[in-house]
Amino acid sequence: MTATLSTPTGGRHPAGRPAQSPAGHSPGRNTEKRRQRTLTWVLAVISLFTVAPLIAVAVLALSPADAPTLPYALPSSLTLDNIVRIFNVGEFPLWLWNSFLYSAVSVVVVLLTASMAAYALARKRFPGRNALLWAIIATMMVPVQATLIPTFILISKMGGVNTLWGLILPTLANAQAIFLIRQFVRDMPEELFDAARIDGAGEWRTFWQIVLPLIRPVLATLAIFVFLWHWNDLLWPLVVGQSDAARTLTVGLATLNTETASTSNVMAATLVSFIPCLVIFALLQKHIVASITHSGVKG
Amino acid sequence: MSINTRTRNTLAGRHPELTAQPLKPFGAKKARSREALAGILFVLPTLIIFGLFKFLPIFGAGAMSLTEYSLNGDFEFLGADNYVRLAEDPNFWQSLRVTFLYVAIFVPFIIAVSLAGAVLLDKLVRFTGTFRALLFIPYLSSFVMAGIIWTWIFSTDGPLNAALGSLGMGPVPFTSGPQLLVLLSLAVVSVWKGFGYSMLIFLAGLKAQPAEVHEAARIDGAGAWKSFWYVTLPLLKPVVFFVLVIETIVGFQVFDTIYVMTGGGPARASHSLIYFLFDEGFKFFDFGYASAIGVVLFVIVLILSLIQQRFFEGKDSK
Repeated sequence: MTATLSTPTGGRHPAGRPAQSPAGHSPGRNTEKRRQRTLTWVLAVISLFTVAPLIAVAVLALSPADAPTLPYALPSSLTLDNIVRIFNVGEFPLWLWNSFLYSAVSVVVVLLTASMAAYALARKRFPGRNALLWAIIATMMVPVQATLIPTFILISKMGGVNTLWGLILPTLANAQAIFLIRQFVRDMPEELFDAARIDGAGEWRTFWQIVLPLIRPVLATLAIFVFLWHWNDLLWPLVVGQSDAARTLTVGLATLNTETASTSNVMAATLVSFIPCLVIFALLQKHIVASITHSGVKG
Repeated sequence: MSINTRTRNTLAGRHPELTAQPLKPFGAKKARSREALAGILFVLPTLIIFGLFKFLPIFGAGAMSLTEYSLNGDFEFLGADNYVRLAEDPNFWQSLRVTFLYVAIFVPFIIAVSLAGAVLLDKLVRFTGTFRALLFIPYLSSFVMAGIIWTWIFSTDGPLNAALGSLGMGPVPFTSGPQLLVLLSLAVVSVWKGFGYSMLIFLAGLKAQPAEVHEAARIDGAGAWKSFWYVTLPLLKPVVFFVLVIETIVGFQVFDTIYVMTGGGPARASHSLIYFLFDEGFKFFDFGYASAIGVVLFVIVLILSLIQQRFFEGKDSK
C-alpha cells in the first residue's frame, strides 16, 4: 500500500517547471509569475490560520497578568513572570518531569527491544517465529482504547496505579516499531552477516556493532514519533496517573483548564509543553517529512 | 517470506567445500540450535512485554465483556448480558450517533483541507519548505493543547466572537450550542491539529504523478480546475482512499478534544463512543460493561481495516 507513496521525488519538477515557462516566451512567463504570486498569498493566509493560534498562546503566556486581554488589545510589554510562576507554584515541574520520563524511557526501551525483536524476526530461525510475527502485526488492528479496561485492571493488580512504572510499562509494546525496523533488517545483504560470522563476532556483537549502526535512520524516525506519541498522550495517563506522583503534563493541563486557573497560567503551561516538540521539529524537520511521505508512520 | 526458501546462513551452508563431509550434519545441527537460541533470547523482552500488555488484555477485553467485574476483582459471569444491555441503552446509541455524525463531519473536512494544502504546495515553486513547515506545525501539538487554545478562541469573550461582535453578530456558543455546531467546532480543532500529516501524504502522491499527463491535459485545453478534476484526482484515488481510512479510524477514536472542551456536553451532544467507555469504566467503575463498549469499537475499526486491506490487495493483483 505504500507503493503509491514511495516515490515522492519522482522527477515531476526537479527544478521548478521549465516546461511551462520556456525562456523567451515572456507572456507565458508573466502569467506564471502572477500565478505564483497569487499562490504565495493564498498560502500565506492559510499559514496565518495554522500559526496564529500558536502565536496567541505565546502572547498570552508572555503578557503581564493584568494586561489588557487579547483580542481587544495587544499587551504593551512582554514578561516571563507567568512562566516563572508556574515553575514555582504547584506541581507543574513534577508533571513536566513525569512527561519527560514517560517519553524518554519509552523511546529508549521501545527502540532497544523493538530492534532486538526485529533482528531476530528478520534474520534468525526459531520455532514459532512466523506465528509471533503475525500475532505482533495483528495487534496493530486493535485500537488501544479497546484494551484500556483490562490493561488498567492488570496494572492495578500489579500495584502500578499512580506509579511511573505502571504508566510506562504497557506502552512499551509497540508493534509499529518492530514492523518498520524488521523491514530494514530484512533488506540488509546476507554477506554482512557472513562476514561478521567469519570474523568470529558473537550474536550480541553482531547486533550491536553491525545491525544497530545500519538501522540508525529508521531509529531516528521512530525516536521522534515515539517521543511525540508519549509526550502528547492523554487517555492512558489520565486513567493510570490520577495523583501527582504519576500525573503527566497533558493530564495536568487538562485539569488546569477545567479548574479556575487563570488564562495566563494555563497558556504559560501550554507554551512550555509545546517547546520540546518545536525544538525537535526545528532540528529534524527533513527527517519527519521524509518519514511520513515514505513509510506512512502514523502519529 | 518462507523460511525454507532462504539459503542457509552458516559457514557450512554457504561454503560446503570448507567443511569435511562427515562432520557437516553435526555442525549444521549445532549451528541451527544456536541460532534458534539466539533468536529466542533476542525476542524474549518483546515476547514478555507483548504477552502481558497486548495479548493478555486483548483476550481480557473479550472475557471481561462477558462478566460483571468490580473494582476489588470480584466478577460474575453474565454471558451476553452486557451486549443486550448495550443494545437497550439509549446512551450507547446516543454515543454511537454522536461518533458517526462527528466522523461524517470530520473526515470530508480534513480530506478537503489537506488535499487543498497539498495541491497548493505542489504548484508552488519558491518557499515550498517554509510554507510546508508553517502548515505542518500544529501537528506537533497535543490534542489537549489544541483543545485549550481553541476553547479560548471559541469562548464568549474570545477572539472569534469579538470579530463576529464587531460585525454585529453573536456571541455564537461554539462549544455549548446545538449539536451540529459543537461537533463542527470539535472537528475544526482536530482538522487544525491533524491535517498536516495527511497533507504530506497527498503531497507525496502528487509529486509521484507523471508530468506528461498534466502536460497532455494542458495541451488539450483543460484549465486548472478541469485538469485537477479529470486528471489529478483520478490518479490520486488510491492515496485518497488510504487517507480516508486512516482519518476515519482517527475520527472514531475522538476523545481528547471532547474531554478538554465540552466534557461530552452539552447534554451528551458530544458524548462519543470513547467518552462513553471512559465514563462507564472510570466514573461508574462498570468494567465489564465498559469492556463490551471496547469490543464494539474494535469491531468497527476491524471492519475499516479489512475494507482497506481488501481494497489494496485487489489493486495489487491487477
